[in-house]
Amino acid sequence: MSSLLRLCAVMMVSLVWGSALWAAESGRLVEKDGKYVFVESMDPATQLLLERAVKQGTISQEEFNRVAQESERRAYLLQPSYRLWYDRGFNISLNDNAFLLKIRARFMGRMTSRVRNDAWRNPGDAKNFPELLGVFGDYRASRSDNESTQFNLRRARLYFMGHLFNPDFKYYIQLRGETAENAQSPGSLQLFDWFFTSTHVPALNVQFGQYKVYFNRAQINSTASMQFAERALVMDAFTGSGLDRRDIGLTLMNDDELYPVNYYLGVFNGAGPNFNRLGSFTSEQPTEGCPAGVSVAGCDTAQRNINSNVRMDLSKLMFAGRLMWNIMGRPGYGEGDLVYSETPQMAIAGGYAYNPSINTSSNNAFIGIDLGNLNYRRQLAAFGNGRQLGWGVVDYSTWALDYVLKYRGFSFQTEYYFKNVTRHDKGVPCMNAACTSVASALLGHAQGWYGQSGYFLVPKKLELAARYAYWDPDTNAAGDLVKEANVALTYYVNGNYDQTITVQYSNTAMGTGGYAIARSAPLPTGFGGVPLDARGGTLIENAIRLQYQIFF
Amino acid sequence: MNKWLAMFNAFVILALAAGCARLPYDTMAVEEQERLLVTLQQEVAPAGYTHPIQLTAADAAAILRGFSVRPQRALPLRWYAEDNPPKPLFREDEIRLLAPALSRALHLAGPDERVRFELRAPGLNSAASRDVTVGWVAVREPYWYVTVEQVHAQAPLRKSDQYDYNFPTPPPLPDSFLLYFEPGRYWGTDRSGTARGLDYRAFLKSAIVPTGGTAR
Repeated sequence: MSSLLRLCAVMMVSLVWGSALWAAESGRLVEKDGKYVFVESMDPATQLLLERAVKQGTISQEEFNRVAQESERRAYLLQPSYRLWYDRGFNISLNDNAFLLKIRARFMGRMTSRVRNDAWRNPGDAKNFPELLGVFGDYRASRSDNESTQFNLRRARLYFMGHLFNPDFKYYIQLRGETAENAQSPGSLQLFDWFFTSTHVPALNVQFGQYKVYFNRAQINSTASMQFAERALVMDAFTGSGLDRRDIGLTLMNDDELYPVNYYLGVFNGAGPNFNRLGSFTSEQPTEGCPAGVSVAGCDTAQRNINSNVRMDLSKLMFAGRLMWNIMGRPGYGEGDLVYSETPQMAIAGGYAYNPSINTSSNNAFIGIDLGNLNYRRQLAAFGNGRQLGWGVVDYSTWALDYVLKYRGFSFQTEYYFKNVTRHDKGVPCMNAACTSVASALLGHAQGWYGQSGYFLVPKKLELAARYAYWDPDTNAAGDLVKEANVALTYYVNGNYDQTITVQYSNTAMGTGGYAIARSAPLPTGFGGVPLDARGGTLIENAIRLQYQIFF
Repeated sequence: MNKWLAMFNAFVILALAAGCARLPYDTMAVEEQERLLVTLQQEVAPAGYTHPIQLTAADAAAILRGFSVRPQRALPLRWYAEDNPPKPLFREDEIRLLAPALSRALHLAGPDERVRFELRAPGLNSAASRDVTVGWVAVREPYWYVTVEQVHAQAPLRKSDQYDYNFPTPPPLPDSFLLYFEPGRYWGTDRSGTARGLDYRAFLKSAIVPTGGTAR
């Protein structure tokens, strides 16, 4: 019973002196239940009695002062050192802010209404964003009806972030649970980011874990702080790794709010998120160097069931660097001049990324589809680099150059990309084991750019933005250009990015020209005789997206 | 789809017509320190203030001491929720800090400039935010105008989030507050009939100012 009483007493003390919101280390204004309340340092009843005692001469003024001071000290010592509050997330601070946990969530829901031309019905898109089917990853053209109106939970995110031990050792965890607009199956909860950052030395911050590679402006920026409902297609096609915007690795950088010139130097697996090169394999017959699934001179007869998975190029890593000069002010990465900058904010930056030995297909004399891990190929197709599928092992060298200006509600940003695709297997690929049929053209490089501008019609509240994007996915091909025009109107409910309503109109024209392995003629042996692009044309889509985002 | 496009275009044209708004901007920092920022801000339209004015710090302190404030709830909550009683706008330590700077700023301000103040204190997460009380003051004889934008709000220290890397953290937008002054007889609608102001000269004549003041 006595222990129960003691527990109750402790709980009462905790409740009275409990959270820092009630903390009374000295008289001060504190927030309680959404109101500001001035809390005296001493219990009012005690204070009244003591003041009367001073007046009556029972105690001296010095004694009163000493007791008041001790009372403050006692209150301070009794207060548990934690705080709970809401400010851009639910915050829990412990041990005098040595530990912080901030929990946030983001909902981005939208209705998309689109109209596509007949070319989307046939031939559809088999080259930039093909769909991969089955364990062998058969290439399928993405085709659809002309009209569609659908609701989509485009982004559903959970965040856990804060610091450990002291504010300079930070962590960040992001989970996603959304489904992409054209995804074939419902999305599931997946780890998106998990990294730690040391900011102890401002000139040498260190970030380690899985996160977005610091390479190009469009990808560094969060989708929560865009002027448009969606990124332009060209932005996704030129990520640092060529596979995905995220990767696992380490980056050194300086504090971008302290220094006018910022650097980012990173080393990564170069295999995309939640993955590394140990997971990427190709199929091999019992005899070393003999590809599975096909009979080649000097090798065993092709056998389907008894083969091996071989991992190659395991010591390769991706390197990415970015250099940014804040010419005027600090424009940061968020799109649009939401803060209504009083002075011009301007920056120019360049990035380079080298990602070697990406196996776009096993290229073991069985061009196109083959046995092996599909993760690389799925990433290539999802980010619009489907034309690079089937060209064997390639090295990606990607450059990016960007410029941004913000001033009094006006903003302009532009970026140019170039990707050099170097194939390890030189020459024209064979379409059969005897090499009597070969590809009709060689894969080229890729380049693209975009320019976007916005203006706040009502400062900090209503912005009109327009964008034009251009993308040449294969510089050796004709009729393959992707052109995109967007206009968006965004209402920022609270004058920040946390709650926005966006309506966006998009026009996209995607050329279906050019050669794509296993989709264009000549097809590999055993694939049949009708290529997916037998009927050409330009894929045109007009879409309106009405989107609501809340980030809390 | 054509109907959609027409509606969208009409909305864009309307929005453009309503656009081109501007905001007041800083022209000079009068006081900038860890706990206080006082700047002069240029109004975007001619304001016709009667600055510069001579006002002692003690007078400014006496005026500041009279203000109290409570948040104005948004509709429809305003119809249902019980209002909180007004709280003093400034604490005594804040008045001691602000009054001299305000006195100097009103002496420096021009007829189209207002005096913006930002009282600062460590935020709940002192590594990432600060506690701010923000507003601005202007004088158009005989009225003293105060607009309060934030009362003990958490404002980010940096332009981007320290945890969610490169996510912008714009400062909070001004909130709505109901402002009061005691004694209330000096606080009323000004001659234009559109704004509330303090007949500060009349108040200072009646107020008791501790030291160095002009009022009696």
